[in-house]
Amino acid sequence: MKRALLAVVTTVIGLVLLLSFKPHDVTGAAQPPAALAQTQTSATPAPTSAQQSAATKTVDGDAADTRWGPVQVQISVTGGKISSVQVLQAPNENRRDIEINNTALPILQEETMSAQSAQIDSVSGATYTSDGYIQSLQSAIDRAGL
Amino acid sequence: MTTLHAPPRRAAVTAPPRHRFRPELLLWAVVAGALAVIGLWWRGTPSVSGLDGWLTESGRITGLLAGYGMAVLLGLMARVPALERGVGSDRLARWHAMGGRYVIGLVVAHVLTIIWGYAVADQSGVVDEAVTMALSFPDVLKATVAFFLLLGVALVSARAARRRMRYETWFYLHFYTYLAAWLAFGHQLATGAQFTGDRVAQVAWYVLYLGVAALLVWYRFLGPVRVWARHRLRVTRVTADAPGVVSIHLTGRRLARLGAEPGQFFRWRFLTRELWWSANPYSLSAAPDGGGLRITVKALGDHSAALARLRPGTRVIAEGPYGGFTGRLGRSPKSVLIAGGVGITPLRTLFETLPGQLTLLYRARTPEELLFRDELEEIARVRGDARLYCSVGSRSPDLFTGLDRLLPDLREHDAYVCGPPEMTRSAIQALRSAGVPAHRIHHESFEF
Repeated sequence: MKRALLAVVTTVIGLVLLLSFKPHDVTGAAQPPAALAQTQTSATPAPTSAQQSAATKTVDGDAADTRWGPVQVQISVTGGKISSVQVLQAPNENRRDIEINNTALPILQEETMSAQSAQIDSVSGATYTSDGYIQSLQSAIDRAGL
Repeated sequence: MTTLHAPPRRAAVTAPPRHRFRPELLLWAVVAGALAVIGLWWRGTPSVSGLDGWLTESGRITGLLAGYGMAVLLGLMARVPALERGVGSDRLARWHAMGGRYVIGLVVAHVLTIIWGYAVADQSGVVDEAVTMALSFPDVLKATVAFFLLLGVALVSARAARRRMRYETWFYLHFYTYLAAWLAFGHQLATGAQFTGDRVAQVAWYVLYLGVAALLVWYRFLGPVRVWARHRLRVTRVTADAPGVVSIHLTGRRLARLGAEPGQFFRWRFLTRELWWSANPYSLSAAPDGGGLRITVKALGDHSAALARLRPGTRVIAEGPYGGFTGRLGRSPKSVLIAGGVGITPLRTLFETLPGQLTLLYRARTPEELLFRDELEEIARVRGDARLYCSVGSRSPDLFTGLDRLLPDLREHDAYVCGPPEMTRSAIQALRSAGVPAHRIHHESFEF
């Protein structure tokens, strides 16, 4: 009994110490993830025809519905290559979604840039979001005629 | 009792001195693993903010540790020979029981804090949040089932319930923890924030769980099959040694290659209609030689009572050899063996084989319960360097008070104790107060 009490007390103290060593910045967690913050900045309408030019053009993908909500991406094409990917929308209903987006979306974006196609690996732990992302990305690529 | 009169074998002398796995090593490895798991959390957590943050992160730490602990607990029971021998099966079982209670505590803390933390974050009720999480988060429904399975196993393993249950029932209920570990595994990777997009962490987790699974399959499940294939053990005869005590003699092929040492035990599965489904641990009661094996069992439960009805020729599957209660523990040329009742079985083999100056103190409640009396006297006579003291009587607190008078140089001895729990405790106490250092006192006890 004494040992059990000791184990519980040690664990609780260890836990509290561990947690207290982390920064407690309240504002940081409340901000939407960077990937979603870009939504406001991109207002360029998507061109319907797919012509190659040296100028950068942006193409929106379809909004792909997933179990947790729609995912939609927008690609910028420069010289026939994907020069950047923006995520217009992603599930952000709860904390868990936001966390997934914070970790998974940057990985997906990076993968897109290096693969230059929608043939990318989904991020485990964020399977639904990944699937939606890939679907939306594919439609954007099709639309851009890449 | 005719096979005994050969000169005593000195197993501890002839066996090559193998490096013994030290128990502390295992403990440190487990602690290091736990620290690595905490490191995983530390690396993947940018900040802890607000009540929900504190709760959720507590839930994550306890969850990660519980997931790790599950794997460790299963690993402890995988019957890995190095651990069984070096740490000792009885100590492994005690650690498993202690760790089991702790991990159950972690699991409960994980479930409560995670639900509460998410409820605070989403500003919803705790019950609503629990339902949402169970039904809509990936693999959390399976984990919920695992949670209740674990709670169930914990409840039946609790001391109070355990006393009212047959050993075999309790034992087989424990197999639900495999199912629980498997059901809970999915949600650890699918929802664990620390694993999202972290390939190294995922691989490490897979290695942990697959490694433990491999150990279980190879040693715990295929081990007995290998022993059966190699040795084909069978019962040759069953003899009644005392009221309610039977000895079972076995034979098989290439028994010398079993590698059994005096003091070790096997888990025996007798393939009869009533006994095939349970494997029970019994010590060898004669030093194993090439010709045969012997175990001696006191009828304490249904299983041991049914052993008296075994027929010659019955096939036997043995798991083992297990146990670190052997001559390898000793460092001193003098040893004292203290046996209580049927606890004589492993000590009887040590008495036959330990080198050096030996003293055996053997206590039983009634003269009939003094087992192997003739054999022990014969061994003492043949050895010449062994003394035997038998005593009879009910338990008394001053049982071991004369110990240092009997052996004035007691503190130079290695002590081996095996018997009922109370007797073991009072013997260890007496040895300690006589100045025998703790690392010289070796004991084996099975309390499931």
